[in-house]
Amino acid sequence: MVKVAVSGINAVDNPGPGLGIIKGLREGKTPVSVVGLAYDAMEPGIYLTDLIERAYLLPYPSEGEAPFLNRLLYIKEREGLEVVIPALDAELPLFIDLEPRLSAYGLKTFLPTQKQFKLRAKDHLPIVAEAIGIKTPNTLAVTSYEEFTRALSQLKFPVMVKGLFYKALRAYTQAEAQQHFQAIVAEWGYPVIVQEVVEGEEMNVVGVGDGEGGHFGLLAIKKLWITSLGKIWTGVTVTHPGLLTAAENFVRHFRWRGAFELETIVSGDEIYLIEINPRFPAWIYFAVGVGINLPERLLKAALGEEPERDWDYPAGKLYIRFTDDRVTDLEVFQHMVTRGER
Amino acid sequence: MKLNRLAISEEGFIFDPETGNSYTVNETGLLILKKLREGLGPEEIAEAMSEEYEVSPEEALRDVQDFLETIARFGLWEEKAWLK
Amino acid sequence: MRKPYQKPTILKLQVGFMRDKKSGLSRMVRREIDGVPVRELAERFGSPLFVFSERRLREQFRYLKRLFEGHYPRVEFSWSYKTNYLDAICRIFHQEGATAEVVSDFEYEKARRLGIPGDEIVFNGPYKPKETLRRAVLEGARINVDSMDEILDLEEIARETGEKVRIGLRVNMDTGIYPRWDRFGFNLESGEVLNVARRIAAGGRLEVVGLHCHQGTFILEPEAYGRAAEKLVQLARKLEEEFGWTIEYLDLGGGFPSRNRLKGLYLPPEVAVPPLSEYAERIGRALLSGLPAGDYPLLILETGRALVDEAGFLITTVRTVKRLPDGRRAYVLDAGVNLLFTAFWYHFRVEIEKEIPGPPEPCVLYGPLCMNIDVVEETAYLPPLSRGTRLILSPVGAYNVTQWMQFITYRPRVVLVTEAGKVEVIREAETLEDIVRRENLPEHLR
Repeated sequence: MVKVAVSGINAVDNPGPGLGIIKGLREGKTPVSVVGLAYDAMEPGIYLTDLIERAYLLPYPSEGEAPFLNRLLYIKEREGLEVVIPALDAELPLFIDLEPRLSAYGLKTFLPTQKQFKLRAKDHLPIVAEAIGIKTPNTLAVTSYEEFTRALSQLKFPVMVKGLFYKALRAYTQAEAQQHFQAIVAEWGYPVIVQEVVEGEEMNVVGVGDGEGGHFGLLAIKKLWITSLGKIWTGVTVTHPGLLTAAENFVRHFRWRGAFELETIVSGDEIYLIEINPRFPAWIYFAVGVGINLPERLLKAALGEEPERDWDYPAGKLYIRFTDDRVTDLEVFQHMVTRGER
Repeated sequence: MKLNRLAISEEGFIFDPETGNSYTVNETGLLILKKLREGLGPEEIAEAMSEEYEVSPEEALRDVQDFLETIARFGLWEEKAWLK
Repeated sequence: MRKPYQKPTILKLQVGFMRDKKSGLSRMVRREIDGVPVRELAERFGSPLFVFSERRLREQFRYLKRLFEGHYPRVEFSWSYKTNYLDAICRIFHQEGATAEVVSDFEYEKARRLGIPGDEIVFNGPYKPKETLRRAVLEGARINVDSMDEILDLEEIARETGEKVRIGLRVNMDTGIYPRWDRFGFNLESGEVLNVARRIAAGGRLEVVGLHCHQGTFILEPEAYGRAAEKLVQLARKLEEEFGWTIEYLDLGGGFPSRNRLKGLYLPPEVAVPPLSEYAERIGRALLSGLPAGDYPLLILETGRALVDEAGFLITTVRTVKRLPDGRRAYVLDAGVNLLFTAFWYHFRVEIEKEIPGPPEPCVLYGPLCMNIDVVEETAYLPPLSRGTRLILSPVGAYNVTQWMQFITYRPRVVLVTEAGKVEVIREAETLEDIVRRENLPEHLR
């Protein structure tokens, strides 16, 4: 039985990838016991006791490295934790920085390097796109309101206004863009990324790089229906050769290690790179469902085992997200707020 | 009295069944709530606190009054309640 | 036996605020600074009190020197006076081998007064008063020219002295970082620098021996320094070939970050701020690969913040405890933005002098000024504090004791904890006499 901790169990309207990862781990051949890592006592995953055996609150990454590390070590002690699979952008830099220390304490991960992580900064996209043979929409990173208005005059509307970690808002007018800009600065600070919208099919690839230029499987999908927050609700598998080649180039060129997702817009023969996520996407269960259990493969890689590398999948498999309800007692909530764990 | 409707756990978790709000209190906060329910006034509570904890009755009284103000703001307490 | 007391608290639970409460506590306590108890410092020297650590100042200097010398053979650190020009602080860096980097008449005079010879002064800044400029020329300071008007001034001085004046050119350029500081010096990409160089050569009274570039402040991109170094090397070669000058120094300015938490950055400084070794490496690599072997101009670095920020602490005391209408606790401290100018841009580390039981709750730290802007920290998480509790704010070593203002109250003492563990006053607290001495009440108002 492998004790593994997974974060991102906030299955809300903008869901974290945690529950998808956990479902994959549970369906794998390696028996696991799952610890959920949460940042708020209301994260729904905490209450799903059939998926998550134990749950703990973590301090916000912004509070500093020491409290974060201490908390992880406390959980490791309590639970006999072996592996951590972080799944949120804002915590990844911390996990990457802490990796040598975590591993010295016997806590295993399978993460990109610091250098690789920096590639995902939205202002680095053009460099990555060029290296793997695809394009990027016109993108500008700004660090002040003046620069922002200057950037708007250089770009065609509609534009996407994005925070460095989270949030992407579409604006059709100057006024709308300014409103989004204020909202993003208030929450996520600078830089803010402004990007021209490219019309086309929204296609994404998920994979796990082995760190040596190869990978443990890829899956490409197209979003059929997205929510008002831009999150996938229905999707279908595709086998777009250009896109899959670009993803293999990405893994080979940067010797990517760990999970990743490339978000693209495919317009005719052109592929535009919109975003690189150095982690699993929230729809990762799609890969599990078509027989490429990437969470389990990543777990194996973290444990030092050799994961499978086959990744034949049929095009035309459908992904459907749905809402669910659960009724429970206040007791779990009470434990989370008074003890920080359950 | 509003306080009587609250579900108060020994861990310091408080649930208000009328409004659906929850709160947490620390050890001394819990003590004040319990004493209020017993019908004690601020001075008596402060005295009890300084008997049990390393605090002067004066500081304790200030803190009790501050605490009462806070729970009044949360709608859990009315200033006049203990005067009656 | 009575139990240890903690102030009663009650928190209303709201989504987004139901966070982990236990882990952050131990790091919030600072009982001493370099072995001297905070309590003792405050009792002996008063509160608020700035405290500097001589050990930290020297260690950081030696660390940076070793670091950069490991990547490039000829490095000079020029202490950026504006960051902190207290005599004692400057003297410590000068003892360690730093020259002086000044940007005004006052700073020039202060460096000379401290015994720094003219030829160990780097003179920067967009306005150098003519008289000071003349003195700097005569005393052989390294003058980095910022504008065409300054070139005219210098040519005039050269005419007077009858000797060629050796100068550096301040260059601004695109190194890929935002915002670009393009109001200082001459622009590289537009060709302005070369035009100016032609004009200087034609004048025949000045000789360019150095290049200077200061990109900005708190720069979190080490590669920007690599690009700046690369561009300066190319420019130097061009100037040498075209005008026959010898570029003796390349000055990359300052702007290196400390581990302070810049507002608007989500991640903690341990993660967000790259280690200084990355800066040294990028600069060294760019210089060594761009320069012919053996022909190494002097690399000048004007690090200020990175040397001094983390050696400075401010001890301040909670003077009043309040409740805001929204239920948050607010503390009025005896130090506000009058002393902590950098509070506008940075979130300081807030530590308490002793362990205080109780859950941390969101609170506001206000200064003592009668102004709404006087906020030291908008949202701190602290256990409930009593009046009289001392807090230690850090890092505050950079810019605060130069940009502080005398407004409605006195500026406090500044002390240095020496390497031997003694505490020395390096600036006395102001008194009424200090402030009124320069005033004059006209006869008819007496």
